[in-house]
Amino acid sequence: MKSLIGFQTLVGREIYRFFSVFTQTIIPPVVSSFLYIFIFGFSLGQRIENIHGFPYLVFLVPGLVMMYVIEGAYSNTSSSLFISRWANNIEELLVTPLSYFQMVLAVLIGGLARSLVVALGVYLVSLFFVQFPMAHLGTVVYFLTLVSLAFSSVGMIVALFAEEFEHLSICTTFVITPLIFFGGVFHSLEMVPRGIKWLTVFNPMFYMINGLRYGMLGTSDAPVLLSAVIVMVIFVALFSLTVYLFRIGFKLRK
Amino acid sequence: MVPAISIQSLTKFYGRLQALGQVSFQVEEGDFFGFLGPNGAGKTTTISVVTGLANYQAGEVEVFGYDVRREYRKTRALIGLVPQEFNFDPFLSAEQILVFEAGYFGFPRRAAQRRAEELLASFDLLKKRKEGYKRLSGGMKRRLLIARALMHQPKILVLDEPTAGIDLELRHRMWEFLRRINREGTTVFLTTHYIEEAEKLCNRIGVIHQGRMMAVDPTEVLIRKMARDRVELYLKRPISEIPEELRSLGVELANGGLKIQFEEREDRVGRVLQILHQRQAEIQRLDVRRPTLEDAFLKLTGSTLTPPLVGRGLG
Repeated sequence: MKSLIGFQTLVGREIYRFFSVFTQTIIPPVVSSFLYIFIFGFSLGQRIENIHGFPYLVFLVPGLVMMYVIEGAYSNTSSSLFISRWANNIEELLVTPLSYFQMVLAVLIGGLARSLVVALGVYLVSLFFVQFPMAHLGTVVYFLTLVSLAFSSVGMIVALFAEEFEHLSICTTFVITPLIFFGGVFHSLEMVPRGIKWLTVFNPMFYMINGLRYGMLGTSDAPVLLSAVIVMVIFVALFSLTVYLFRIGFKLRK
Repeated sequence: MVPAISIQSLTKFYGRLQALGQVSFQVEEGDFFGFLGPNGAGKTTTISVVTGLANYQAGEVEVFGYDVRREYRKTRALIGLVPQEFNFDPFLSAEQILVFEAGYFGFPRRAAQRRAEELLASFDLLKKRKEGYKRLSGGMKRRLLIARALMHQPKILVLDEPTAGIDLELRHRMWEFLRRINREGTTVFLTTHYIEEAEKLCNRIGVIHQGRMMAVDPTEVLIRKMARDRVELYLKRPISEIPEELRSLGVELANGGLKIQFEEREDRVGRVLQILHQRQAEIQRLDVRRPTLEDAFLKLTGSTLTPPLVGRGLG
């Protein structure tokens, strides 16, 4: 029971942290998603023909939601953990009787909470422009949850390796954002030039975006079962690595 | 009885640099244990190992019989740590820092709030409860650190230089507080630079120097063992040289022949007085300077605990 209270407290602290700076954590992705939907979907999208039988604006929404889920999850845990290392209050946590598994899971749930709030915000913005029924709600929940937890783990791993704040954004700029864009937020696999199409299958974001697209629209460029398995494997691997790094005290213990 | 802290042959390296070598000692339940050593001796490293903030390469470290690596959740629940540096959560107010801390240790929210209220009041921080820690003065932050460590009612309170850089009044109030919680049953493990602090508060002392334990004894025993009373005899008339019989007893002449001084051991004072009486030397005054922990420390480590400011210039 005591252990559960400790875990809940840390989850609460993580959620409190991002809500206390909501102008930096919640509002920006919602505003920029509005801009994407308005410019790309609403204005330019009317000149693009249907994809998989859906208007471009509808096709765009799941990709955008997934993009902000990934960014929100990564930003939340990377900044939370890095600030804790930087301000040294990570020591406050490391001397508590929480297990390393609990410490990691609680921080990940903080990332999950933030990305779900952001996902909801982006979805609500999209409702101003277009409405469509959710094809498979369970699939939506599955992909949102696992992808968010996976990128929350990435955020924690990067925060452990990082020596400066800039290192956190290097990963966003050079790895996460390009993979998201190439993963099919704005386009279908059909639109990729034939010569480089094969490269897409090595991009994990491709399966994440298409998994959510299947859940929301019922259409996907990748088999949903394959996407679900890949996302699960990635999550388990990253989560295990994060717990392992905490257990050995990588850059945490002297 | 299981010791509160038991350290056996603890060895710790930072890269290739050995920070602790075969360190062994025990802290008994109820002790007010002083852990002394100059800068870089290994005090904070030892604390970090006990509290789980540092890895180590060899040795056995136990808290109330639980291994700090294998049973880290049990050992951490028993310890409250007051670190040397402020390490507060920058997103929280003073009150939230305490309430969250208790929560991490499994206190339900209401109980945590009650306890925070009590400790904020006893540390004179109630008026600042809603402030972020950055808006508190140095002394307030120091008090908040101690309050935070006490939130989960630990059986051992570990304090790393708690009175460094605080004013005299606050230091004395802190001493009173630490004495009280020790009387009430909390084992206190204190590192300090202030010999006076250790001498006044601690019933047992461990001295560490260059990563090795030099001594662990009850405070009085350590002082007696390492340093002796120094006797000073002031003569009415100066003498030109020390009589031969006195020289063999280690007696020195000072103040132009007006003072005779020596370390007291095995009734040396009786023999010196007898010899002086035979020589008809008249004694004006006799002073006995009691040895201090500083003397014992000096003897053990060959250095003072706090280096003098002179000579530590910026150049």
